[in-house]
Amino acid sequence: MLILTIFLTSCSGVKKLSIFKEEVPRAELKLEKPTPLQLEELQWIIITSENAEEVFKKLEEKGIDPVLWGLTDKDFELLAKNFARIRNQLKITNDLLDQYKEYYEPKVNEKE
Amino acid sequence: MFKIKIIITLLLLAGVAGGFAYVQKLRADNAVLKINQEKLETAVSDQKELIENQQKDFEQILNANKKMNELVNVLKKDLEDLDKRFNKKNRDVGKLAIAKTESIERITNNASKAANRCIEIASGAELTEAEKNATKKSEINTECPSIANPNYIPY
Repeated sequence: MLILTIFLTSCSGVKKLSIFKEEVPRAELKLEKPTPLQLEELQWIIITSENAEEVFKKLEEKGIDPVLWGLTDKDFELLAKNFARIRNQLKITNDLLDQYKEYYEPKVNEKE
Repeated sequence: MFKIKIIITLLLLAGVAGGFAYVQKLRADNAVLKINQEKLETAVSDQKELIENQQKDFEQILNANKKMNELVNVLKKDLEDLDKRFNKKNRDVGKLAIAKTESIERITNNASKAANRCIEIASGAELTEAEKNATKKSEINTECPSIANPNYIPY
């Protein structure tokens, strides 16, 4: 009886329970990058006290309203610098976005 | 006498059964130890992989920071160059525009066109082959060579 009991206890039919964890990667955001800008070309006209009449006459000849928005040379300089600052900020923000994308959403072949 | 024999036999059987049970226990322990060993080896391997990945991430972070710092510096230089162009050798753009109106107007319009292109590039536009291959001063976008002409080395 004793031997039979020992033999039976050794023959366990219950499988071992295996608990495992599998990391499920977070879904990628996959937002499309904004379309690059395509700017319109604009025309600068320099007016001095000497050529003012000629400039307005040419505008009228071309059928353009003889009116101009003016900037002094100093303000023109400031406008150019402001424009350059905006451009730099745009570039930095755009590149920053690329860096984040590269870090958090690397391409499949880079992952492997 | 017969009773003694039975008792001795039972004792012997009990001893054998005990020994068998002990061996079975040892086998079971051994199996558990093997499983534990495998689990430990897997854990060590996982930890190694984790450390390697953390090192890779760290390098990538350093690299990203370096790239951003370099970009900020080259853009700052572009801005300084623009300032120099307006004020080089006490240059007065206003007086120049009075003296050479048509010429300055042409230069301004070309610069404006180049500055527009800089904005387009900064917003993510692809560089053209001409922009990529520009190495001479006459070929570059003077408003933002650092982002428009990657192969240009100032001389």
